Amino acid sequence: MVQASSVEIAKVNKFYGPFHALKDIDLSIAPGKVTCLIGPSGSGKSTLLRCINFLEEYSSGEIRIDGQLIGYKTPGGAKMSGRDLRTMRRSIGMVFQQFNLWPHMTALENVAEGLRRVRGLSRTEAEARAAEALRKVGLGDRMANHPSRLSGGQQQRVAIARAIAMEPKLMLFDEPTSALDPELVGEVLNVMKALAAEGMTMVVVTHEMGFAAHVADRVAFMEKGELVAVDAPARILHQPEDPRIQAFLRTYHERNLF
Amino acid sequence: MFSVATFIDSFGPLLYAARYTLLISGLGIALGLVIGALICAARLSPFPALRRFAAVWVSFLRGVPLLVQLLLVYYLLPVIGIDVPAMVAAVVTVGICASAYVSEIWRGAIAALPRGQSEAAVAIGMSPGDIWTRIILPQAVSLSLPALVNELILLVKASSLVSVVGIMEITRASQAQAATTYRPLEVYIAAACIYLAINLCLAAVGRVLEHRMAV
Ligand SMILES: Nc1ncnc2c1ncn2[C@@H]1O[C@H](COP(=O)(O)OP(=O)(O)O)[C@@H](O)[C@H]1O
Ligand SMILES: [Mg+2]
Repeated sequence: MVQASSVEIAKVNKFYGPFHALKDIDLSIAPGKVTCLIGPSGSGKSTLLRCINFLEEYSSGEIRIDGQLIGYKTPGGAKMSGRDLRTMRRSIGMVFQQFNLWPHMTALENVAEGLRRVRGLSRTEAEARAAEALRKVGLGDRMANHPSRLSGGQQQRVAIARAIAMEPKLMLFDEPTSALDPELVGEVLNVMKALAAEGMTMVVVTHEMGFAAHVADRVAFMEKGELVAVDAPARILHQPEDPRIQAFLRTYHERNLF
Repeated sequence: MFSVATFIDSFGPLLYAARYTLLISGLGIALGLVIGALICAARLSPFPALRRFAAVWVSFLRGVPLLVQLLLVYYLLPVIGIDVPAMVAAVVTVGICASAYVSEIWRGAIAALPRGQSEAAVAIGMSPGDIWTRIILPQAVSLSLPALVNELILLVKASSLVSVVGIMEITRASQAQAATTYRPLEVYIAAACIYLAINLCLAAVGRVLEHRMAV
């Protein structure tokens, strides 16, 4: 079992110039819980996710990880120092739609890099832990490969290994399977399911409704920068009351008919 | 009639002069790499004044012909009381000129890297220094190598311009040789052969680098 973080998002707003990308978002995530963020494209899911590790600055409100405010020294106050922010980010893993592996390094080096530079481990120690993380995502036999020699599913699993090798207490996923060929989606979702079963707190932006239905503890629906509803998966995915959710699911189902 | 003897005899003095061509272009690119790195850093820095300085530096050096820059330096230095050998002035001028192109090559290579790579590094808590030395620079440098070799080839050719400030590199040596032999055609064909040989070698190096990168 991992040590898992809680996330408290309160009255968060985000502006891109005049554009109001996040509107008064409130969301709390208990330790060890999996929350899926769903909603139409452009609704602010990635923006919200990226605010959680302050990859994107939120304009007002508070985001707390285990009670500690991220990004600012005080709510609405001065920005946190780079050093403090890096310390907080060490325990937050992130997985991107485009994998974002470092192409000049092997799979093993990709995973070991953070352990060496951020955690200060020796090369041998870092590589031993990196190898362990890669075995955990089923890539024990691909450690010497560069990303260009791996399939999309394997690359995304390396990216997950890179994050979990740092022993995070919270994992953020931004459409981790959207760039994958359909037959490679399953291998990545399985790794994520295993992580959820270990008790990791996870926030997952996804269009995989099956994953949301079966793995998530709660599903949050966003539209036009608003968090419309947060509830148990069945209540959002099967009996949504809000017409906006009904409309979204209708287009989703229509697209998946053939 | 084409004089084969004059053609062959020209190689002696011209090959001797080739060392200056190589010295000026070699030292020129070396200096250009150093200054170009600083200019590129200034261009990408968060300080508007530095960014503007770098932009002006690049557009001046790219907008004024090297020949004019050389003549400017040649006539300017005595006026401001700086007395350096012509060779030093030539290398510095060529290097400064090259720095403009080098900084743009590096800026392009850095910009070509997907932003997500740095984001992934930021997300695991890497410091800006580590992100530059471990993620961005190793890739930008290898991406830029073919373009830098190309720039060196251009410098070898451009070094012919320093003949105007009296340095006996290949072109100046050819002019002298042509004047004493009254056989300009033979001499200039020999000069062309030497330039071509140097640049074909460099181009081959460039291809090797490009090929190695493609893997
Ligand atoms: N850097 C940015 N500058 C301006 N607008 C942005 C930027 N990033 C995102 N947006 C806008 O914010 C909105 C939400 O984007 P995003 O969070 O990426 O949506 P989602 O992930 O739900 O598809 C979109 O309308 C998008 O155009
Ligand atoms: Mg998105």
